[in-house]
Amino acid sequence: MIDSLGIVDTKKMIAAIQESYGLDLSDYNLTTLRHRFLYILSYFNIVLVDEFVNQVKRNNIDYEELLEQLMIENTELFRDPSFWREMKEKYLPELSHSTGAKIWLAGESSGEEIFSLMVVLSELGLSNSIKILVSCPSKNRIAKIKAGGLYDLKKMEIGEANYTRLSGKFEFSSYYKIVDNKAVLDTSLLTGVEFDTLNISQVESNKSYRMIIFRNMMIQYNLPLYEKVTRKLMSNLTVGGHLILGNMESLEYSEVGKKMQLVNQDERIYRKRVD
Amino acid sequence: MDYKAVIIGGSAGSFQVVTKIVSSLPANYPLPVILCLHRLKHVRSGFVEALSIKAQMPIVEPNDKEPIKSGKIYLAPANYHLYVELGNRFSLSTEDAVNHSRPSIDLSFFSASYNYKRKLVGIILSGANKDGALGLKSVKDNGGLTIVQDPNECQVPTMTLASMNATNVDHVFSTNKIINFLLSLA
Repeated sequence: MIDSLGIVDTKKMIAAIQESYGLDLSDYNLTTLRHRFLYILSYFNIVLVDEFVNQVKRNNIDYEELLEQLMIENTELFRDPSFWREMKEKYLPELSHSTGAKIWLAGESSGEEIFSLMVVLSELGLSNSIKILVSCPSKNRIAKIKAGGLYDLKKMEIGEANYTRLSGKFEFSSYYKIVDNKAVLDTSLLTGVEFDTLNISQVESNKSYRMIIFRNMMIQYNLPLYEKVTRKLMSNLTVGGHLILGNMESLEYSEVGKKMQLVNQDERIYRKRVD
Repeated sequence: MDYKAVIIGGSAGSFQVVTKIVSSLPANYPLPVILCLHRLKHVRSGFVEALSIKAQMPIVEPNDKEPIKSGKIYLAPANYHLYVELGNRFSLSTEDAVNHSRPSIDLSFFSASYNYKRKLVGIILSGANKDGALGLKSVKDNGGLTIVQDPNECQVPTMTLASMNATNVDHVFSTNKIINFLLSLA
């Protein structure tokens, strides 16, 4: 049953993963992590937590496969069409005026966020004028994204409905083809997009991004990690640059986040005022 | 009794009942009231405003990580699951829909019952699917108090009947009795 993993078992799994793979999940939101661990157990056909721990210790579970399955869907194609409309009408055209502007999509999971962004940029004719970096810790996920996503067709229905709401230029179906009952998005959209597998907490600060998109990622963190990552994100943003969170996320519970100015309440777009 | 929170689940058809309940609670109601109602996932605004018209308590859609306070009504926002965390804060989640629903009543009830244990009142209202039934069972299994709206009074009784099948509920109440009960906790 979905709610049957207790704190003790959850902590056992966290410890085993950290010990064997060096992946630290101890500051992730417990409810979500418990759900995810239950899914992981069923994905690897494991009934007992102790068996999972043993398998991990003996390296019987492929790390990349585990990492891929641990990733939580954080978006859908054009999630929050009103946000993408703001991007299209205001923030992206503004950004294109500053030369060498860079956007960092700091927490990609399924590829839906980067494809949404690239569709909007290409319809504005701006695909080539803004540099994009996408960070996603899972190599498997990145490979899938580069292959066009390979999405369930249900996701295309959601994408199409959202695309219509943001008043896209074309038919949404012109952006993908169906192969073996999976939707393959037009990979030419990703031309020039850079990918890396850095985890946000390993990233150095170099303050060079005009915009960082990090929607619905910090909902997976507890307060200490949220504080730490907020600091990290801010230190990678130029003064005047924008940080974009999910529409029900807020920086008001972060000490350092209070320095940011909320410039769009509905879409939770923050602006960095000072260094 | 000494309850710490009330959580209420229902679907779109329960709007009138929910409105009646929230408008009956006084501004200084001593508990947080958490509403998890099925709603259109792409319509983000309007629901809080509609519920607030007659309410005396403030109604908000909580942010992720927002502290949970007494005297407030919290409505699960569109296209997120709403969880109660240790440390008395909310969290939100974009995990897959459960029972075709995000927010899912089951998931909200699971997390609330896990954290409040026997200090939780769980209420299931009129609703069109079985989402909420296992959640209410979880409230009961954790020692909390369980109430369902009288199925004879429900616009669509699927959710209440499924809840009554899933667990041995403490009370089957009409809307008026639910209100009287909630007022008796004040």
